[in-house]
Order: sequence, then structure tokens, then C-alpha cells
Amino acid sequence: MSMILLTGGSGCGKSFYAESLCLKLPMPRYYIAAMRPYGEESRQKIEKHRRMRLGKGFETVERYTDLSSLKLPARGTALLECICNLTANEMFDETGNYSDPFDPVIRGVETVLHQCGHLIVVTNDVGNDGYLYDEGTNAYIAALGRINAALARMADAVYELVCGIPIPEKGALLI
Amino acid sequence: MILIVGGEGSGKRTFAKSLGYREEDMADGCLDDRPVIFHTERMVFQAPERAGLLYEDLLKKEVVICNEVGSGVIPMEQRERQGREAVGRLCVQLAARADAVVRMVCGIPSVIKGKLS
Repeated sequence: MSMILLTGGSGCGKSFYAESLCLKLPMPRYYIAAMRPYGEESRQKIEKHRRMRLGKGFETVERYTDLSSLKLPARGTALLECICNLTANEMFDETGNYSDPFDPVIRGVETVLHQCGHLIVVTNDVGNDGYLYDEGTNAYIAALGRINAALARMADAVYELVCGIPIPEKGALLI
Repeated sequence: MILIVGGEGSGKRTFAKSLGYREEDMADGCLDDRPVIFHTERMVFQAPERAGLLYEDLLKKEVVICNEVGSGVIPMEQRERQGREAVGRLCVQLAARADAVVRMVCGIPSVIKGKLS
């Protein structure tokens, strides 16, 4: 069993690198999409990611919450993208009320890891920012920070992507 | 081409000077015949959808300096989101072709690709 956590800012090349890692790991390949298609911009983003994955042998599984009840058909490699969306989905309801997303996110990732055997997890670095946000956003920043730290403890390797270049924070580079 | 990235005030231009460049060698967010350009991210933010057009000209520079702007909470403003994404994509492309990539943290350079001659 192996798990690699990838972090980095917007447009740093996380997704492309994550897919390259998956190509080195056992088949079948599952892409677990946590981003809710909401509005034109997210649809475009999803479409761009779909095009990038084309021909790489991924089966797409859309799952916005509750990964702990997910049943993957076979062992193999899963790419979960991304923890920032999953955390927001687990945390906020339609009215903007929120609850602690830590347990559902971590249990969900554990479930997927145990089922597939090899897991690449993509997250984002929202903590390098100010604090002049509303209470819910500040709670989100703090929750995602704790979740990222917990995922890093579970992971065999953690890389930060900078300009498309993986910088190992934990473990050795696979490629 | 050497790409130098890092946050605001992280020491990118100071580092470029340690490579032998002078203040007057550095263009502030505009393309001219000077060997170094900084505030590359500001040019991208002016027209994120046309960021790709800067690529070839930036490759001709000796040093390209760009702020890392992709961290933190995803902004509410669409224009800001596009700008961050476009800066990131451009830096990925530039890094792929750069002879060296240097990342500044607290004034400390890390060479994350290639070697500084």
C-alpha cells in the first residue's frame, strides 16, 4: 500500500504530475473527482482536466462527499482531486452553516487507500494567506491545514509542486 | 534563462544582483532589451487570457523574476482566479525550458532545477 500527497498553489502543475505518478502505478486507474460542477467556470475546469486525462486509462468516479461509503470495483491506483473541494463539501451546507470536516475527510481517504492500495492525493495550500475573511472561511483555512497535516502523516511521501517541479517534503521522489 | 520565483519581498531581485546584474539591467514588468525582467506576474494579471503570448519573449531573457501568487484562499473575483492560474501555468512552461529555477524563501535561494554557473 502506498500514498503520496501533492500540494502547491493554483496552476503549479499538481494535476499533471499526479497523473504522471499514476501512470507508474498498478492498473486499473480511478480518478475520484470531488469538485462539484457549479457554474460555467468549474465546468470549463472539469472539461480541461478531462481532456488532460484522456488516453491515460482513468475511470472517472464523481464523489463530492462521504468517501467512506465509496466502493471501488477493484484494487489498483486512485487519484483523489482535490482535498480542498472535498473539505468544503463536507464542511458547508447549502445555507453556509458549517461543521468540522476533519473526520469525514480523513476516514474517507483511509477507506479509499485501503480499497485501492495505491493512492495519490491532491491538496492545496490555503494557509499562506491573510485572515481578513469571514468566520466560515477562517474555519475552513484552519480545518484544511489540520487535514493536510494529518494526510501528510498517513502518506509515504509528500511533494510540493513549484513551477511543475516536485519538491520532496517527506519521502523520496518516485519520478 | 534563469527563472527566479518566490513570494513578495522574498529576496528575488537581491538574489539576481548577487549573480552580477545591476538595478538598471532590470525591467519592471515590461518587455524591452534589458536582460532581467521582474514583476512578470503583473504583466500576466493585466491580460491573463493572453499570458501565453509572453512566453517566447520571456525565454529570450537571461533572468525572469516572478512572484508566486497561487497560494492562499481561492479568490472570489474571477479575474483574480484567472490571473493566479495564468501566472502558475506560465511559470510551469518557463521552468520546463529554463536552464535553472531558483525559489526564494525568506531570502534563501533553493536551486530546484539545473545548476547556477
